[in-house]
Amino acid sequence: MIAFAAPWVLGGLVLATVPIVLHLVARREPPVVEFPAVRYLEETSRRHQRRVHLQHWVLLLVRTLLIILLVLAAAGPTRQGGMGLGGHSPTALVIVLDNSLSSGAVRGGEATLVRLRAAAVATLARATPADRLWLVVADGVPRSGSAEALGAVVDSLQVSEWRLDLGAALTASQALLAATSLPGEVVMLTDLQATAVTPAAGDFPIVIGVPESEAPPNLGVASVDAGAQPWLGAGRLSVAVHGDTGGDPRPLRVAVAGREVRQVLVDAGARTAIPMAAPVVGWHQLEVRLDPDELRGDDGAVTAIRQAAPASVAWDPTDRYVNAAMEVLVANGRIARGRELIIGRLGPGPSIVLPPADPAALGALNRTLAARGVGWAFAEPAPAAGRTDSSTILPAVVVSRRHRLSPLGSGVTGVIATVDGEPWLVRSGNVLLIGSRLDPDWTDLPLTAGYMPFMDALVNRHVRGEASTLQAAPGDLVTVPDGVTRVLGPLGEQRVESGGRYLATVTGLHWLLDRGDTVGVLAVNPDSRESWLAAATPEAVRALWPGARLASPEGAVALAFSQGARADLRGPVLWLVLVLAGLELLLGASRRRRTA
Amino acid sequence: MVAVHSPIRRPSRPDLLDPMELSRLGGLEVVTDGIVEGFLAGLHRSPRRGFSVEFAEHRMYQPGDELRYVDWKLLGRTDRMYVKQFEEETNLRAMVVLDTSRSMAWSGDPGTRLSKLDYARRLVAAMALVLLRQRDATGLITFDDTIRSVTPPRARMSHWQDLLRVLGRVEAGQGTAAEPALRHVVGQLRRRGMVIFVSDLLLDRDLAITALRFLRHRGHQVLVLHLMDPAEVDLRGPAEVRYTDPESGSAVTLRPEDWSAAYHQTVEDTVAWWRTGCRRHGIAYERITTDQPFGPALRQALVRSTRLA
Repeated sequence: MIAFAAPWVLGGLVLATVPIVLHLVARREPPVVEFPAVRYLEETSRRHQRRVHLQHWVLLLVRTLLIILLVLAAAGPTRQGGMGLGGHSPTALVIVLDNSLSSGAVRGGEATLVRLRAAAVATLARATPADRLWLVVADGVPRSGSAEALGAVVDSLQVSEWRLDLGAALTASQALLAATSLPGEVVMLTDLQATAVTPAAGDFPIVIGVPESEAPPNLGVASVDAGAQPWLGAGRLSVAVHGDTGGDPRPLRVAVAGREVRQVLVDAGARTAIPMAAPVVGWHQLEVRLDPDELRGDDGAVTAIRQAAPASVAWDPTDRYVNAAMEVLVANGRIARGRELIIGRLGPGPSIVLPPADPAALGALNRTLAARGVGWAFAEPAPAAGRTDSSTILPAVVVSRRHRLSPLGSGVTGVIATVDGEPWLVRSGNVLLIGSRLDPDWTDLPLTAGYMPFMDALVNRHVRGEASTLQAAPGDLVTVPDGVTRVLGPLGEQRVESGGRYLATVTGLHWLLDRGDTVGVLAVNPDSRESWLAAATPEAVRALWPGARLASPEGAVALAFSQGARADLRGPVLWLVLVLAGLELLLGASRRRRTA
Repeated sequence: MVAVHSPIRRPSRPDLLDPMELSRLGGLEVVTDGIVEGFLAGLHRSPRRGFSVEFAEHRMYQPGDELRYVDWKLLGRTDRMYVKQFEEETNLRAMVVLDTSRSMAWSGDPGTRLSKLDYARRLVAAMALVLLRQRDATGLITFDDTIRSVTPPRARMSHWQDLLRVLGRVEAGQGTAAEPALRHVVGQLRRRGMVIFVSDLLLDRDLAITALRFLRHRGHQVLVLHLMDPAEVDLRGPAEVRYTDPESGSAVTLRPEDWSAAYHQTVEDTVAWWRTGCRRHGIAYERITTDQPFGPALRQALVRSTRLA
């Protein structure tokens, strides 16, 4: 589409009528001249009328066109498309600047982000005040603003620990563009990790600026797991690394509370179990770290271990299956005999409460629970047998008898296991309620292999109010366990809703607090997919994002605003003017020569 | 002889002066006499030789030559037979047919150029004087849409005055009908003679060429002098002009700058048509423009007529 830099000049097009008006005016009232050789004129007219008239009209047309083109040239015509040498019309442009963790990889002596950032700045420099601009970075939040404001953001942008799903970013960008009436396009400046290329919705044009150089070899920590918490004495750390080791094992250092305690050799793609000696009782930060490579951000990972003394437990020795389990745990040093924890009835401290064998005692138990402030009570027996739903603590077992568990408050919180969707194992504070007695008449659980780990987890973890260590990547929304009201992370303490969601912004350990007690930890480590630096192939990109144009970051700058790019047409128009002027001169000179 | 005095260097011979300028120097007789004097001063004698009273040269006797022209004295001295040749005493009878139609009275630039008719008056008078001085009988017919005057051919010099009087009285008529005038020549030239047709040829070409062929078939030598005003050759004018024919009244409106080339081509085609048509029938043709000095024009005319003779 043709547009003009100075459209008001187009008013001069009325001048194009001058030759026509002159022609019409000149035709009026010609002077009469006596001329004896009129017969020659008549003969000439008969023979040459068509040619002369044609020549006359051609000359009129040339002169009219000449004026039109001169006016058009003065109005500064531009055409959509081209390479934007002549500026561009107002455009909606979303710059997706991939500053995800992988953009910290060093290529050719500088971080990838440095080059991407320069391209983003250059792209913004081409923007005009009439453009609508957005900037989307790894945090996924679209920032709108002027080129200067967004340029300042880009200038201060650092490598983020967050992962950027390019497909999601494109979808979000396309949604932004769809809301504007301007011609829109997306300029994505990225290392184009294959793991980040996902399907996207929308059909706005996409220009992708990606470094041409090969991704450097990289080795990163994929995961670190301290296993079930707490540790009672010794423990075992499970570490997985992936990437390119060049075929040789690489050293991995393990540090507890900042002090290196172990060094092992690891292979890429293999999970390594590292036995650890038990530290003192309490929470400890544990960090694993590889030797530095071209991408430093994924060379380490953190987790936490909880070292605890075995629980001191009291139980009813007549309760056959409970007694058997406890004896085994005592024999293995997992618990000790004592009165810290009561199993079977409600004690003054942590308790695992089972339905009483005598249904008549149920009312009194419920009243005691209520008086204790426990949020759950035993309700009527369930009419039919059921099966536990699968959970991390419990295998699927048949539950033939059970009491329903009903919450006393307005909300249902603390459910650990369910039977047919109904709460069966719940926790309220340091009290656990189980809907069935641990007896084969009530449930098959005591007869299964999962019974001992279940009992171990109950007495050592759940009833003591300790949550499992949670794992997350930066940017993940994590549901905090019930009772957690605050999170103490690397950036400070933050209040959360119990059972609500918490945004893990940075890597590190985020301690989960319940009224001053640390009840768990959220270990936030880089997304392991960021360690895979290999770029997606152009074919794969085009398959997912049809029509996407790939270029170097600098090439993407040139291709940006192509939707609104406007090629300057003054040059071609002036050339045309020159040609027409030459033609006019030629025709005019020819006429003058004949007249002379 | 006409003396021309001017601070500006100009040709000393009147026949080479600008026709308009020359016409301002005197009446028809004076001017024409000056033209002829000047013209003859630059002209060698007639190459035509005959057996007149004035000796010209000898040539070798050839069988069939009359014995009375043998130079016996030379035979006695050289023992060879020569015959004497003399300047021929012409007995040519010439009739000038002058077009006096209204178109002939037109001048493209009346201030600086003679009309075709005024130019023709002087040219015809000069030609007549030259012819009479050669003792050629010369007559004159003027015509427009009808024959206006007929002056029979005479050879005496005083006849020139008669012709001048007729030329002086000539006025432009209306239309042009050349054929009756040309056919009338036959009655005036009973023997073979020369017909000089002076016209702008803005007439019915087919009728005119037919009449000229008729004269040619009657044995006359025919010379057509095509007079044109320079403005008739090249079309010029303001942006748009309505041209009207003074004779027929027909009109054409056009822009000269658009049509000048085509018009010029038409004129050249017309001249070519006349030239070709005349040549095909043994008729001499000469185009003369009215800005041309009389000398060259007269030379062209006389050379043509001499060749014909």
